[in-house]
Amino acid sequence: MIKTTNIIKTVSTTEGELQILQPMSFSIEAGESVAIIGASGSGKSTLLGLLAGLDTVSGGEIFLDNAPLHNMDEEARAQLRGEKVGFIFQAFMLVPSLTALENIMLPAEISGLDNPVQRAKDALDKVGLGHRAGHYPNQLSGGEQQRVAIARAFITEPKILFADEPTGNLDAVNSENVEHLLFRLNAEQGTTLVLVTHDEALAQQCQRQLLMNGGVLTEITDAQSQRPRAAEDEARQA
Amino acid sequence: MSMSRQLAWRLFKHEAKRGELSIILFAIVLSVASVLSLSLFSERLQGALTERSAEFIAADRQLSSRQPIPSEWLARADSFSLATAQQISTRSMVFANDQLQLVDLRAVNEAYPLKGSVKVAPQAFATGAAVDRVPTGQNAWIDSRLLQVLNIAVGDDIEIGDSIFTVEAILAEIPDAGFSVFNTDPMVLISIEGLVAANVTGPGSRVNYKAYFTGESSDLDDYFAELKGELNRQTHRWLSVEDDESPIGESVARAEQFFLLASLLAIVLACVAIGVAAQRYAQRHFDPVAIMKTLGASTHTIRAVYLYQIIFIAVLGIVLGTVIGFMVQQAVVSALAGTVDVSLQVWYWRPLAIAVFTGSVCALLFCLYPLLGLFAIPPLRVLRRDMASTLKTRGGQYITAGVAIFGLMYAYSQNLKVSSILFVSGMILVALLLLATYGLIALGRVLGQGRMSAAQLAWARIKRRALDNSVQLISFALTLMLLLVVLVMRNDIVQQWRDQLPEGTANYFMINVTDAQKDALTAHFKANNVMSDDLYPVTRGRFSQINDDILRSEVTKEEGDTRNERRAGMGREANLTWGLTLQNSNEVVAGEWHDAWSPETSDLPEGVYPISLEVQAAKRMGIKLGDILTFNIGSEIVKVGVTSIRQVNWQTMQPNFFFVLHPDAMARFTPTYITSFYLPPQRKSELTTLLKPFANVTLFDVDARIEQIRSIIEQVSAAIEFILVLVLIAGSLVLVAQVQASMDERMRELAILRTLGAKGGMIRRSVIYEFLIIGAVAGFMAALANEVSLYLLQRQVFQMGTSFHYEYWVLAPLTGALVVGMLGAWSCRQLLQLNTTTLLRKVL
Repeated sequence: MIKTTNIIKTVSTTEGELQILQPMSFSIEAGESVAIIGASGSGKSTLLGLLAGLDTVSGGEIFLDNAPLHNMDEEARAQLRGEKVGFIFQAFMLVPSLTALENIMLPAEISGLDNPVQRAKDALDKVGLGHRAGHYPNQLSGGEQQRVAIARAFITEPKILFADEPTGNLDAVNSENVEHLLFRLNAEQGTTLVLVTHDEALAQQCQRQLLMNGGVLTEITDAQSQRPRAAEDEARQA
Repeated sequence: MSMSRQLAWRLFKHEAKRGELSIILFAIVLSVASVLSLSLFSERLQGALTERSAEFIAADRQLSSRQPIPSEWLARADSFSLATAQQISTRSMVFANDQLQLVDLRAVNEAYPLKGSVKVAPQAFATGAAVDRVPTGQNAWIDSRLLQVLNIAVGDDIEIGDSIFTVEAILAEIPDAGFSVFNTDPMVLISIEGLVAANVTGPGSRVNYKAYFTGESSDLDDYFAELKGELNRQTHRWLSVEDDESPIGESVARAEQFFLLASLLAIVLACVAIGVAAQRYAQRHFDPVAIMKTLGASTHTIRAVYLYQIIFIAVLGIVLGTVIGFMVQQAVVSALAGTVDVSLQVWYWRPLAIAVFTGSVCALLFCLYPLLGLFAIPPLRVLRRDMASTLKTRGGQYITAGVAIFGLMYAYSQNLKVSSILFVSGMILVALLLLATYGLIALGRVLGQGRMSAAQLAWARIKRRALDNSVQLISFALTLMLLLVVLVMRNDIVQQWRDQLPEGTANYFMINVTDAQKDALTAHFKANNVMSDDLYPVTRGRFSQINDDILRSEVTKEEGDTRNERRAGMGREANLTWGLTLQNSNEVVAGEWHDAWSPETSDLPEGVYPISLEVQAAKRMGIKLGDILTFNIGSEIVKVGVTSIRQVNWQTMQPNFFFVLHPDAMARFTPTYITSFYLPPQRKSELTTLLKPFANVTLFDVDARIEQIRSIIEQVSAAIEFILVLVLIAGSLVLVAQVQASMDERMRELAILRTLGAKGGMIRRSVIYEFLIIGAVAGFMAALANEVSLYLLQRQVFQMGTSFHYEYWVLAPLTGALVVGMLGAWSCRQLLQLNTTTLLRKVL
């Protein structure tokens, strides 16, 4: 589903070019669930942005469902995102002036799917918020907003779902609900899931864990995953 | 496309319902409403004033001629749906009671006058009342003065030429009598048939023929366009109300300029308001755009969604603005109903078109740059919340805004000068403000060290948001400057009008006061508690020669002698006065006033004395400094040399003269004297007693004329006052919108400060300090720009004297600081009343 070869990311700063992602190559297979973990500022979100086609690499190649993201312009990437990608964000990122139902309809409409209203209603029912269809984001609790975001992410039946700290802004109970919902829908639709998180428990629910440390990505083996705390400490010392 | 439209409509509907569009909608409504109400009102007022002024030429247009006007021309006017009337005037002798008197004889047909009315008085010198007829057959209506001079009464007969007329009424006023009171003889109004019977317009007599026209202004223009080719420049003169050079014409013209200016300023205010609001609108949509892009929306879709959105907002704004603008205008007209007679029946399309055009252009052009910025928001913002638009240059925004403002101003005024002056002063202001902001920031860097107090927090904020603040400062200063320009302009215009006709302006003139009566008259008036002006000596002379050019007599005058035609323009009989003191409101513009002249040091030939000429008269007759003029006075010849040219303010109601000679030139003549005095209307009945001892003195009553001028000036002043209030309200609303907009940006900071435990009082004080500083700087800059634009406007557009408005240099920064500071405090208070959680929720 995703294949990267020697991708790097550099940004310009006042003190010159800064390489924030060291060359990395890895693959994620269709249907896999992968967690990217690491300390703040380690480059997790940068990598997520590149994999999802929100940002462009400075070097190397990325293929998303065989599409060469590194060669595509913003328009083409937007179209690809619309067709194949779903998103869930830490800050929910719902459009404040649209109701829950309309927020869910949005990607379906953008992708030109039939019957967006019915699809959105079904999706809203699936996340258990059918009764809040007409509510605006600021009338919903954080957990509810994230459930709406999940419904929005799944409405287009994406091949791959990117989630950036999906439970980062939620309390324990809501986190658990959202995690449960996320993995259930993921399993139902056979979606590939790429998740960026601090949450060990959440990461553990994924089939694979990748550790980002100072712009360097390493795969965590089973043995390492037993002591992720130590891995983080190492990352900090490095 | 339909998906974009649906989405745009949905966003629009919800945002409108939730009040999220209020700022930008408010700005558009404000701009459309203020432009519409101002221009509709001024158009209506101008209509009313033009109508009033039309009374002074008794029609919408007047054709005056020295030859009879072909009846075919009048018939042709019919085919243009124009109403017509005629007047034939000449000077003739009236004989009654064994006395002869030269009169200004006016013969009119029954259609006269087309505008205004003829007034007759119940007794001599009493106030006249309008009548809707004119004399017919052998009836004559005569001036009060004639009753006095010929010692006759209503019902008596008078002889004019071959005919006898019966005095039917006392003529108080005709609409187009003109303002010249010194060279006129008492007026007699008769019918055209009467004039034919009198047979006084034979060869050699000087006759003026007038045709009057009224109708739709487009019909009038078409008619004139067709007639133009047949008119002879030497013989015919086409006159419209705009050509009126009287104080009324000038006041109306100046008022029109003011309305134009006020409306232009309203347009600029509207642009500023929309610009500020659009910026804020775009910022609030950064996230939704990033989300839509992330979800796969193409740039095309995003553009379509937001363009539709802007169109929906603009349409709603324009509709609401039109309704509100119309209501405001209606309210103003009703409020002014007692003072200004403005008709609500007429609907003018131009103001509506202008308002809608302004709304659309402002909405689209001023939203353009913020929208371009919005379209350039990277989708990555969903992950990196601090990512702003990738559109970098602000230059483009300034250029678009500048072009839009200038385009609108020009489109509206069709006046390059006014638009350029306002635009250039605005640009200077912007440049100065940018400089000042960076200066302040540099200063702040020096001052902003040390412990964090409210003042330092304010400085820190000003420093950090350098560019945002400069934009804010510019919009505050621009608004304040525009308000100042309108305010000062209004004060200056109204003041100059009041100065022109102050309370106690002379309303009566007396001529023919003899040398012997001089002192007695002054004493008599003083005893009766009536203030009279100085007595000026007057002798009538016949102007016969300019250097070696002999001015031919009228009888042998030939057509086509343009030089003499022009020179004859003055009329051969002239009122000559003399004196060493330069009169009030006279200013020597060339040469030297003759008070220090002496024959010994004179450059003039021997026996030639100095004369001073009025500048327009000199121009008309082609006379320059050093020319020798010859006058025949009685049987004597007086030669004078032109040593000075004077500018005379004809709008003052005091005796003014074309020719002022050196007293030595006139030493051998016995003059009569002219003077003026003021008598309050309620003392009008005392006139007869006042003049009884001086039977030979002729009295001119200009009270009605002055009252007319005054009432028009008062109406125009009242209207200007209202326009000022409208602009002030619009300006204040713009200020409120600006402060509110900037509060939005401050909200996040307030939330953080609050969360960190900063005391409400300290936050509030810091915000107030910040606004005080911004307001004071904006006010100071506004005073500077105000001075520049006023100087240019008054010199170039309003043709009035300029002055330095030092008081506003103090007032503007104070008011700016106070108003902006108060608005800041008020907005801040609203924010601080929210609890921290709500505040945080709003910003996160």
